[in-house]
Amino acid sequence: MKRRELLKAGAFAGAVAALRPPIVQAQDGKANAELTPAQSGVDASGDLAAPGWKPKFFDEHQNETLIVLSDLMIPATDTPGAKEALVNRYIDVVLAAEKPEGQQKFLNSLSFLDGESMRRYKSAFRYLKREDQDDLLHALAYPKAGSGWTGEAATSDPAHTHFEFLKQRIAGAFYSSQIGEKELGWDGAFAHGPYKGCEHAEGSHK
Amino acid sequence: MSGLYMLQDPLAQTYDVIVVGSGATGGWAAKQMSEAGFKVALLEAGRAVSPKEFTEHMPAYKLKYRDHSPEIARTRPVQKQCYACMEYNYEWFVNDLENPYSTPQGKPFTWQRLRILGGRSLVWGRQSYRMSDNDFKAASRDGYGDDWPISYADVAPYYDLVEKYVGITGAAEGNEMLPDGQFLPPMKMSCGEVLMRDRVKAKFGRTVTIGRAAVLTQNHNGRLGCHYCGPCERGCSTFSYFSSPFTTVKDAQASGNCTLITNAVVSHVDMDNATNKARGVTYVDRLTRQVKEIKGKSVILCAQALESTRILLNSSTREYPNGLANSSGALGHYLMDHVVGGGAYGKLPELKGKANANEPARPNGIYIPRFRNTPTSGKNSRFLRGYGFQGGAEMDFNFGAEGYGTQFKNAVKEGVYQISLGGFGESLARWDNYVEIDKDLKDAWGIPALRIAMTHGENEAALMEDAAVTAAEMLEATGAKDIKVQANVEMPGMAIHELGTARMGTDPKKSVLNTFNQTHDVKNLFVMDGASFVSSACQNPTLSMMAIAVRACANLIDRFKKSDV
Repeated sequence: MKRRELLKAGAFAGAVAALRPPIVQAQDGKANAELTPAQSGVDASGDLAAPGWKPKFFDEHQNETLIVLSDLMIPATDTPGAKEALVNRYIDVVLAAEKPEGQQKFLNSLSFLDGESMRRYKSAFRYLKREDQDDLLHALAYPKAGSGWTGEAATSDPAHTHFEFLKQRIAGAFYSSQIGEKELGWDGAFAHGPYKGCEHAEGSHK
Repeated sequence: MSGLYMLQDPLAQTYDVIVVGSGATGGWAAKQMSEAGFKVALLEAGRAVSPKEFTEHMPAYKLKYRDHSPEIARTRPVQKQCYACMEYNYEWFVNDLENPYSTPQGKPFTWQRLRILGGRSLVWGRQSYRMSDNDFKAASRDGYGDDWPISYADVAPYYDLVEKYVGITGAAEGNEMLPDGQFLPPMKMSCGEVLMRDRVKAKFGRTVTIGRAAVLTQNHNGRLGCHYCGPCERGCSTFSYFSSPFTTVKDAQASGNCTLITNAVVSHVDMDNATNKARGVTYVDRLTRQVKEIKGKSVILCAQALESTRILLNSSTREYPNGLANSSGALGHYLMDHVVGGGAYGKLPELKGKANANEPARPNGIYIPRFRNTPTSGKNSRFLRGYGFQGGAEMDFNFGAEGYGTQFKNAVKEGVYQISLGGFGESLARWDNYVEIDKDLKDAWGIPALRIAMTHGENEAALMEDAAVTAAEMLEATGAKDIKVQANVEMPGMAIHELGTARMGTDPKKSVLNTFNQTHDVKNLFVMDGASFVSSACQNPTLSMMAIAVRACANLIDRFKKSDV
């Protein structure tokens, strides 16, 4: 999957009906209704880290659950992970502006996780021990295959579908963040010389 | 619009030529006519564009919604169906709420439009291929439809002229279906593409060539060579891909003979019934909503195939009750758009290496010219015509990796070598694919909107089914694993190659334009965009549209010299 596709991998962003008109503050402070914020030079990269940030869409439990989940999905290793990249805050921004169907879809998957957690451990996901959280995610992370013995086809696996949906939203948020770009090794430059292509001798591409 | 134009009052004079639309073909018409010494008024429905609004070097994390802006969903739900309409640049695309069109129940059509100086040339895919007589004379060869009234030899000199100016990167192949052109040095192929080229040639005898693209591989005509940053559709600070505002329109303005009028939403052509000639056009000022009339000795429509036809349909007079220049009744009919949705993708595990975020990004892929129903392949029993493939192979980050946690994080960075082919099939010209005026629907300027009725037929579906199979076979021959096929027929409009609706022909009873894009009915009225196409071929059409427009301008210049306009 290409990075551009990843950006789109989340549910298509919907709109709430009562949005303000598309007036954009340009860099010089004058309103310009015919440029996108990006074309006006608006840099929103600092928004998520603003002091006193509060979720607009999630309630506290949902927000905390997403922080815990994102930290498991893409943990800090020798490099920062999804929690440090504030993926919960980015997802909150997107969902706050999304249509009710899109909002509900995300909440359904998050609730499914809590439901499974309650069923197995009698506790909401965010309160489980780390190893129990890990065990639970492992159980959801891989799709159920059909039977190799009987030739029976795989049936749909809703648990895995919820997992994949949450994972793709978290991964999309992470790898489109500044921390995520750095994780991929991007040096911040836009031009890296001419495209060299295959430089192997004829017939040798190893 | 700058205040200067207002002071000069562009409406006080009669121009030699009024050009409607400033995109790929309109830019050429303005350049050719103004450089030949004629007074040109170039009308553009949108605003001017500035390099200051280019965003190709802005990382996604600076976008508030990282391409999930609710503003796009609210104002551009149709435009968003095109990958190039992004949170970066959506204001370049039309606001769907202001620019409605209708479709019959069960016949969706997606219509991607830009109203801004340069039009779709700002965001186009840049792939540039010549058509051959296998396309211009296709009807003679397989019995379907009509030949073009012109042949490859008529257009070839204009392909040369356009290519030399635009700058087309590509490799000569001597392929019977895809004439070579005036190429800048080709871009390089990746290792996977070299494998595909060699193995597909060995197994099937088919040509895999590097894409021919309107992107400079070296400095050319005052523009800089590509710096391989990647997302051309967000603008180019070095003007390395071809877009009209910074090339043809700039030249036209430099001639001193071209008056650019932006925000001019043309509603109709005005006729002088006594002489049966167009006397100018009427437009609505996009910002003030004032209705204005501009006078010209000739009118060239380059508004985009469906928009030019819409203008003609909205220009009915007592003499032309069914739309101007429509004595044939063919205006609006034979709408085409390449069929897409058939192809395959997979992985190339034999190629090792790691994904690298600091690789130069090549704004181009590979191309496989049509190999079905060619003079050497013979006739296919299941379908007419054929398709070409665009595709590519490269190491990329493995965002689709399984699992989660540290394992997933590492797998993403390890990368995966991807390979893909997507077909572009010929869309047969059919009378029952058409546009007409929707009497109950108007745009934000009060101009009657189009009703677009188009479906892809059985032939198009058969092309995409075959494309899925042949793509998979070629990927398999290349050594690909985990191959997935797609045999879909995407909704019409998805290729964004709308063609036809004012076709050219020698018989005024069956066609709208003559061989020089002049309407049969009105001597000084011309349509020089993709509306003139008789058949769609399967090649990306913009290069052919530009060459045909330049050819038509050469003829118009001759007519002016002979006082025959």
